[in-house]
Amino acid sequence: MTVTFTFLDWLWVALFLILMLGSGILFYRLGKRSESDFFLAGRDLPWWLPASSVYATHTATDTPMWITGVIYKNGMAGIWYTFFCGWAAISAFVSTRIFRRSLAYTQAEWNVVRFTGLGSELLRGWMAGWQFFMNMFVLGWVGIAMGRICEYLFAWPTWIGLIVFSLVCAVYVLAAGYWGVVMADFQQGVIAFLVIIIVSAWGIHTAGGPTGIIEKLDVMGQLDRINPFAFTGWWSGDFPIAWFITMMLIAFLGGFGMGTTIDWYVEAQRIQSAKTVRDASYSIWWGTILGLIRNSVWAVAILAFFVLFPNITEQSEYEMGWFRLGFDYLPAGMLGFFFAAILAIHLSTISSHLNLGALYATRDLYQHYVNPQASQKRLVQVGRISTAILLLGSFFYGLIMEDITSWLIFALWIMAAGIWLPNILQVVWWRFNAWGYLSSWIANLGFSWLVVWILPELNLIPNLLDYQQFWILMILGALVYFPVTLLTKSESMDHLVHYYVMSRPIGWWGPVREEAIRRGLILVNGDLVAGAEQASRPSDTFPTVE
Amino acid sequence: MNQALATVIGMTIAYAASFLGLILAYRAWRKHHKNQSHDEG
Repeated sequence: MTVTFTFLDWLWVALFLILMLGSGILFYRLGKRSESDFFLAGRDLPWWLPASSVYATHTATDTPMWITGVIYKNGMAGIWYTFFCGWAAISAFVSTRIFRRSLAYTQAEWNVVRFTGLGSELLRGWMAGWQFFMNMFVLGWVGIAMGRICEYLFAWPTWIGLIVFSLVCAVYVLAAGYWGVVMADFQQGVIAFLVIIIVSAWGIHTAGGPTGIIEKLDVMGQLDRINPFAFTGWWSGDFPIAWFITMMLIAFLGGFGMGTTIDWYVEAQRIQSAKTVRDASYSIWWGTILGLIRNSVWAVAILAFFVLFPNITEQSEYEMGWFRLGFDYLPAGMLGFFFAAILAIHLSTISSHLNLGALYATRDLYQHYVNPQASQKRLVQVGRISTAILLLGSFFYGLIMEDITSWLIFALWIMAAGIWLPNILQVVWWRFNAWGYLSSWIANLGFSWLVVWILPELNLIPNLLDYQQFWILMILGALVYFPVTLLTKSESMDHLVHYYVMSRPIGWWGPVREEAIRRGLILVNGDLVAGAEQASRPSDTFPTVE
Repeated sequence: MNQALATVIGMTIAYAASFLGLILAYRAWRKHHKNQSHDEG
């Protein structure tokens, strides 16, 4: 299909882009003040700003596509895929609070707060490099999704949608850093939320309203589609119960850890930009709730789409379902408003990942390892250069990605499977050390290639279902990192006590807690003694938060 | 581009970036310790 825009449609688009570029100009002065401003908005944001940023960032151009895909294919049971974000419901009251108290700018930096010695530094360097890539990768995949939407709507070559809108976004990210990101995200979040409701309601109305949809599904013999528990058996089929249980475990237990899903790294920046621990908690909780409300609205709209177009077999075609509800049925003059909302969805994700990737490059790689004496002006400059490199790299990644899904699943498995449990252990178990954690990362890279690509290709093992890959990678990884942890020394008690006093983690921290009590840093009831944080600081100053 | 080749190139860049971070960390650590032992000496 191609869409023809009227003057009014283009006017909506132009006004939106001017509004976004205005964020860059308005907040330019704040963004350039310091590294803390360029990457964390000075750590002074009320909860609703990072919350809207969490929501807006995780509403990307590919989000309605994959949600449409799972709902069209599995009916309402597909909604459970979107409960991956359930980790945040736990995290908001557990790992979010611990992470905010640590004051680490990034998850990579957190490693030298939690661990100590060479192992912690290697972890920081490794994770910073990995995150620089991962943000470039996400930018590529979100960018190419926009390229495909523009190709679908206007018959433009894919590269135009990939490059043009990311360039517009880069203007305000380069100018104002995280200030520009978070202020634009607020506006984009509001626009996107409203339009998602309007378009979905329009689609539901077109299909006959909720009652009409159920009646039509009944006539089609597809009433099972409204049952969220319509699984395909215990172990096999498109959506077995074993996969459902695995997903819920990943999601909810994951909230006790840090980095158990790819989304954590984005959230970590928002957590640190909130002005208090409480603001950080609220921002993660509310940002996620908004996402779940959005998903529920989308799910009903996709049932409406199914009723209207029940016989699409091509995945790439039915994945465009929600977009089609808007472009096929909205009246003339509103199409541009809808496209502006799609741009809002797109830019909010692009801007967040540009700034986040640059944060790892600047804070962890440049400042910590290359030039610790760099001035604030220099750090902002490096932040801007890193942003530009990420942008160019994302074009490369976007252009070589034809099949988004297999890449996406592979990258997500690498992030989620073999290191899922270590990501929790680092928070809840005092004995888990830097070498154990680093070995889990390295082992997982090897195992994931073997399990996902190489062994099935050589016909040594069958192609495994998603949940089978997850459990196998988790067991294989554990066979490496548990022995490594137990065969190497625990972190020094001085460092652990300081970390405990600073972050007050939950879980198995008995020996460290007792030592902190013995040293008079915390009371038996868990309350902190005044000045304990400073008094517990170890003398070795290399692995510190600058 | 062949997707298998694209995946290999893409992931190789990922590992290269991670190892670069690892090497930078190791270099900085060694330098720090060299300076520390020099100061103590």
